Amino acid sequence: MADIPTLRIEALQVRYGAVEALKGVSIEVHAGEVVTMIGGNGAGKSTLMKAISGLEGAAAGRVMFEGRDITRMPGHQRVALGIAQCPEGRQIFPDQTVRDNLMLGAYHRAASAAQIAADLEAQFAVFPLLRERLHQSAGTMSGGEQQMLAIARALMSRPKLLLLDEPSLGLAPLMVKDIFGVIRQLKQRGITLLLVEQMANQALAVADRGYVLETGNIIMQGGARELRRDPRIRAAYLGEH
Amino acid sequence: MVAILQAVFSGLALGGIYALVALGFNITHSTTKTLNFGQGELLAAGTVIAVSGVMLLAGKGMHGTLDPQDVTLWRYAVSLLISVVVLGLLGVLLYYTAVRPFIGLGGLSWVMSTLGFGIIIQNTALAIWGPSAMVIPSPLGDNVIRIGGAGVLPQEILVVAASVVVMLCLDTVMRKTKIGKAVRAVAHNKNAATLMGINVPAVVVLAFAISSSLAGLAGLLIAPITTASVFMGLSIALKAFSAAIVGGLNNARGCMLGGFLLGLVESMVGLWHAELREISIFMLIILVLVLKPEGLLGTRVAEKV
Ligand SMILES: Nc1ncnc2c1ncn2[C@@H]1O[C@H](COP(=O)(O)OP(=O)(O)O)[C@@H](O)[C@H]1O
Ligand SMILES: [Mg+2]
Repeated sequence: MADIPTLRIEALQVRYGAVEALKGVSIEVHAGEVVTMIGGNGAGKSTLMKAISGLEGAAAGRVMFEGRDITRMPGHQRVALGIAQCPEGRQIFPDQTVRDNLMLGAYHRAASAAQIAADLEAQFAVFPLLRERLHQSAGTMSGGEQQMLAIARALMSRPKLLLLDEPSLGLAPLMVKDIFGVIRQLKQRGITLLLVEQMANQALAVADRGYVLETGNIIMQGGARELRRDPRIRAAYLGEH
Repeated sequence: MVAILQAVFSGLALGGIYALVALGFNITHSTTKTLNFGQGELLAAGTVIAVSGVMLLAGKGMHGTLDPQDVTLWRYAVSLLISVVVLGLLGVLLYYTAVRPFIGLGGLSWVMSTLGFGIIIQNTALAIWGPSAMVIPSPLGDNVIRIGGAGVLPQEILVVAASVVVMLCLDTVMRKTKIGKAVRAVAHNKNAATLMGINVPAVVVLAFAISSSLAGLAGLLIAPITTASVFMGLSIALKAFSAAIVGGLNNARGCMLGGFLLGLVESMVGLWHAELREISIFMLIILVLVLKPEGLLGTRVAEKV
C-alpha cells in the first residue's frame, strides 16, 4: 500500500501541435496526501490535470493510477476508476439544476438511489447552500457558489483522487477563504488531493507536499513547509522581493 | 373559412414533417456543432426502403404497385421500424466517414463531406429504385374526415399525431432522464461531460443515429400524402433547415416551432397564391434573421470551445 502511489506520473510530455506544454513531468501523489502544484500562468498546470483525466493525450511518458498504466485509457473510464476533476473555471452545466449537476457527478455509478441520496446529504453537510439552491439553474448562482457546486459534483463520484484546478480563480477574497476552508475539511476526511493553485501561500499552507511547475518542467519539489520558506519561492510566487 | 381550416390542417401536417427533420438538425448541431447536409437524401432513401418494405410484406416484389388494401397498418409500422433502424445505422456510418474525421479541425470540410455522403446515398438509391415516384396509399385509407366543414386526410392526422408524440417523447427524455441530461451535458461542454464519466463519443454517435432516424420517420409519414421518390428529400430538408434557423438551431423546441410555423405559412400562402409560397417562406426567414439572428427561441451562444 505504502509503496504503490495513488497517482504516479513518469516523464510525461504533452504537446499542442508545436507547443510542448509538458516537457517530461514526473510527480507522485500518495493516498491521503494533499499535494499542491504551483506555477504561473501558462506553466502547464491545467494541461497536467487534463492529461491525468484523459482530456489530453500523452506524447510520451506514463500516467499510473494505483499501479496501473492508464496512459491510453479514455477519460470517461478514468472517472469510474476513481479520478475526479473539478476543472479550471468550474465548468458546471449552467442550464441544468444544481441537483442535476450533482447527479451528473454520480453519472457512472451503479449505486442505489438510497446510496446516492445519502451522498447528496453528505455534500450538503459541507456545502449547506447547495441544499437551498437544489432546484435552481446552476447558471444563476454566483461564481463562488458555482465553485462549491463544482467541487461537490466531483465528490459525488466518490473519487479516490480529487483534482482541483485553481478553485480560487476569480473569486472574491472572502470566497477564497471559504474554498480553502472546504479544502481543509476534505483533507481532514482523508481525501487524496492534487491541488493546482496560483495562490501559492494558501495552497502550501494546506498541502503536505508541493511541486513547482515552470514552462512545462518541475523546477522544485518538497515538503510544503520547506517550499514555503524557500527564498526563491517567496520571491517568485509569494510576492516577496 | 373552410378553406382556411383545411389549409391549417395540411400546414400542420407539413409542419410536423419539417419539425421532425429540423429536430434532427438540432440534435447533431447541439452535440457536435455540425449539421448533416445529406439529411434530405437520407430521408428519401429511408422512405423508398420503407415503401419497398411494404411491397415485400404485401408479396408484391420490389417494383409492384401498391393498392390501398396492401398497406395495412402493421405492414406500414414494420416498414417504418425497418426504415428508422436502417437510417439510424446510416447515420452512424455518416458520422464515422463524413463527420468525425473533420471534427475539431475548424473549417467547413464537414459541409462537403456530409453533402457528398448524401449524394452517394442518393445515387445508390437511384441505381436500385430508379427515378420514378412510388405511390403508397395511407394505411388509414383515403376517406376524408370532416372537421368543421374542412376535409382532413387520416394520414394528415397521423402525421401530426406521430410527430407531436415523437417530439414530446424526445423532449421528455432530454429533460427528465439520466441519459437525456448526459446528452445535454455533452452538448454544453464535452470536456466537463467526460469528467462526469460520460462516454462522449458514444453520445455523439447516438445523436447522429437519432437525427437520421427522425428523417426516415418523416419521409414515410409524408409519403402517402405526396409520393415517395429518390428525389423527395431535398426540398423537405431545405425547408426543415430553414425551420431550424427560424426557430433557433440550438433550441430543440425552437426547431419544432419553426417547423410548424413554416408548414403553416407555406400552406396558408399556397391557398392564396401558390407561386408565392416559397417567396413568403424565405421572406419570413430573412425577417426573423434580421430581427432575431439566433432564431425565435434560440439563445445567443457564448460557449466555451
Ligand atoms: N488547447 C490548447 N492549444 C494550444 N495551446 C494550448 C492549449 N491549452 C494550453 N495551451 C498552451 O499550453 C501551455 C500551458 O497551458 P496551461 O496548461 O493551460 O497552463 P496553466 O494552467 O499553468 O496556466 C500554455 O503555453 C498555453 O498557451
Ligand atoms: Mg490553468
